[in-house]
Amino acid sequence: MNARLLLKYWRTILVVAEMTIRQQLMDGFIIFTVLFQPIIIALLALWMLKGKGPEYAIFVVVGSGLTGLWSSLLFISGNSINAERWSGTLESLVALPTPFEVIVFGKNLANVIQSLSSMVLGYFVAAFLFGYDLTISQPLYFALSIFISIFAFISFGLIIAPVFVMNPGVRHWQNAMEFPVYLLCGFLFPIALLPGWTTPISYLLPPYWAAVALHGTTTPGTPPNEIFFAWGMMFVFSVIDLLIASRLFKLMLYKARADATLGME
Amino acid sequence: MRIFTNNLRLFWDGTLLSYRALFHWLRPAQYVASKVFMPLAQMFFFVFLGTFATSAANAGFYIIGNAIQITAVSGIFGVTMSVGGERETGTLPYLFGTPANRLVTFFGRAFMHVLDGMLGVVIAFGWGVILLGLDLSHTNLAALGLTIAVTTLSTCGLGLLMGCLSLITVNVMFVNNFVYFLLLIFSGANVPLADLPNWMQVVSYALPLTRGIAAARSLVAGAPLADVAPLLWAELGVGLVYGLIGYFLFSWFEFEAKRRGTLEVF
Amino acid sequence: MNAIEIKQLQRIFKTHTGVIKRTAREVRAVEDVSLEIQEGELFGLLGPNGAGKTTTVKMLATLLIPSAGSASVKGFDVVKQADEVRRRIGFIFGGERGLYWRLTGIDNLRYFASLYGIDPDVSKKRIPYLLEMVGLKGRGDEFVGGYSRGMKQRLHVARTLLHDPDVLFLDEPTIGLDPVGARDFRQVILDLQSEKKSILLTTHYMFEADALCDRIAVIDHGRIIALDTPGGLKQHVADLSVVEVETFGASEAIIGGLRALPFVDALSVEETEKHQLLLVQTKRGAEAVPDILAALDGQRLGRVIVREPTLEDAYIRLVGGAV
Repeated sequence: MNARLLLKYWRTILVVAEMTIRQQLMDGFIIFTVLFQPIIIALLALWMLKGKGPEYAIFVVVGSGLTGLWSSLLFISGNSINAERWSGTLESLVALPTPFEVIVFGKNLANVIQSLSSMVLGYFVAAFLFGYDLTISQPLYFALSIFISIFAFISFGLIIAPVFVMNPGVRHWQNAMEFPVYLLCGFLFPIALLPGWTTPISYLLPPYWAAVALHGTTTPGTPPNEIFFAWGMMFVFSVIDLLIASRLFKLMLYKARADATLGME
Repeated sequence: MRIFTNNLRLFWDGTLLSYRALFHWLRPAQYVASKVFMPLAQMFFFVFLGTFATSAANAGFYIIGNAIQITAVSGIFGVTMSVGGERETGTLPYLFGTPANRLVTFFGRAFMHVLDGMLGVVIAFGWGVILLGLDLSHTNLAALGLTIAVTTLSTCGLGLLMGCLSLITVNVMFVNNFVYFLLLIFSGANVPLADLPNWMQVVSYALPLTRGIAAARSLVAGAPLADVAPLLWAELGVGLVYGLIGYFLFSWFEFEAKRRGTLEVF
Repeated sequence: MNAIEIKQLQRIFKTHTGVIKRTAREVRAVEDVSLEIQEGELFGLLGPNGAGKTTTVKMLATLLIPSAGSASVKGFDVVKQADEVRRRIGFIFGGERGLYWRLTGIDNLRYFASLYGIDPDVSKKRIPYLLEMVGLKGRGDEFVGGYSRGMKQRLHVARTLLHDPDVLFLDEPTIGLDPVGARDFRQVILDLQSEKKSILLTTHYMFEADALCDRIAVIDHGRIIALDTPGGLKQHVADLSVVEVETFGASEAIIGGLRALPFVDALSVEETEKHQLLLVQTKRGAEAVPDILAALDGQRLGRVIVREPTLEDAYIRLVGGAV
């Protein structure tokens, strides 16, 4: 793959992301998932963790933001291909010279960026409504962690969408997959509280490593090694996810063309 | 007597039919996923968050609160969809065209969800005992059962009102999710009411669930039924008020829709 | 080189019915289709519902994989060289779907332009040009959700022309349009032909095919049963006349009796709310009228007309009057 092609894809991704956000600005369900639900979780957690002291406020802001990231990845990115099918646009998107993965990448980028806004809103809620003094202990590393997490979430989303398309049965479990990941990824409390046998599952989930990196860079006293390790894990998972995704997309598109399931009739 | 049996049949037929028609997409696996597994995962999440926030000794507080809260899954989502779903399937004009007793039809919609919601809460308590170590040895179980029934009824009352509102609002799921998550804050399931600002406490007591959760906590701690009876009566009253407002709204919609000829709009 | 070459194309669908006792059923949507469409030709594919028109188009547009046979567009195989095909084709399926209703017309075009990898500088000029061409000038900033059906259909045309494809597939593009909208749309199709595009058009409307197409294939039960110019197809019925008889509530038995008469070559019935229109094809022309009326003795009759056959009559004869 040459640089010119990559640049072209990148431009496509940006346009796709822009159009996706424009469309979703008016969708009530998406606004709820992206904005309201994480803020309600932030409010709850801020009240619940009041007794732990003000230093936990930033922990809640980051953690509730992560819940929003996961929910939007699960529900919005997870349904992104099916949504195109329902609107009748899937056929036009598949019969294009641009690989379909590139389009879905752009859609996932939009969703992840969109839901990061809930973290920003959570910051303001904690700062102004609750009057907490919020500081990010390692701002530069935090920014880098955000960047790597975006990439890790997008890559993870590239697996979820084709899996949901190919297995309608799995989609029924979509609702049931939201909170377990909040639990297993240590978004709002350490996974040490959970039974020991769940720890390996946590390690296999990219959002867990995103939580380690983002909590680590906002909470004082985290050794840099821990953060670097989390970055490394996110990178490794992203590469694996992308490899699996490219296989899944090929399989999905072939199946769709063989079984005539691209349209909705 | 004829009228009574007629209405009884109407109630049952409406109940079963509406439940089946509107939830025909619900397969067993999906039912387990969205009605059992999802609420349990949510309960676990808040129990762990609560014990992390305070101490493991407080687990009971969160288990009871969130177990009772599960009734809102059926009470809000289920009931709203079985009233509001009429709009999406376009069957409302036909319903309004029948001579059926509206009160019976209307409350019939909620009945299955009352049973469903109670079952969900019982399962949640079961997991609380088995997996999270909830101690029910001092509890008057019959009284706890009554509390679950009363709280479910009152939550379904709110659900009926939401269902009616969903007939005029654009985005049903948005309103539903919003109310559901607001209940998580206001019901006292996770945040002790005393920690909330005063104006929020006022809202809390105007909502279903709040008193039911408080009653369940007292009962689990060993209080006799007589102690929590006032709470239960009040809880029932709150639910009835919402249900009746919902019913009158429903009747008013029908009247307005027929008067203005805007039935198709619904 | 031909724009499209189809050799013994076949497509089978497997459908399952029943939840508990699942039975698989095979539907042969396209049985055996071979065709060649020349560069710059406007080719019509006609046939009753379920004849295999849309399935054929979808295979050519790389959206379906053929069960057997092969097809190529501009020399590229639609399965093995799908990407090459996709760069050179555009397609429209009739109906309102397939656009983003929550975006404006221009945003829809910008979106697809970037997906076709068109340079932003190029698309900046091309989008206004296309909007003007399809008659949406000045409406591009409105949300597509507010467009009329005809406007949506024209936006589809603009969308499909973004990358200036050589070959266009138009699958029942005028379906659901009001008469004025359909007429305007046919003008757009003629404009496309004058730009030397090769076009495969499927339609239900015979007069549309007659007015637009260079050649027409009639497809039924997944096979091509006739392939000719509109004039050539009409030759099939050149020796016939058509007697149109308006009846009110004639029974199946009466119509069946008429159909069985020796001088009746084909008979089709158009039902409307108030009356039936019997279209009787016969070699005897006006002479047949007394016999036809005799067969309908005792029925309430409206007007009776004898006329020259049209393409539609040729079509009716080909697919056996089952319209």
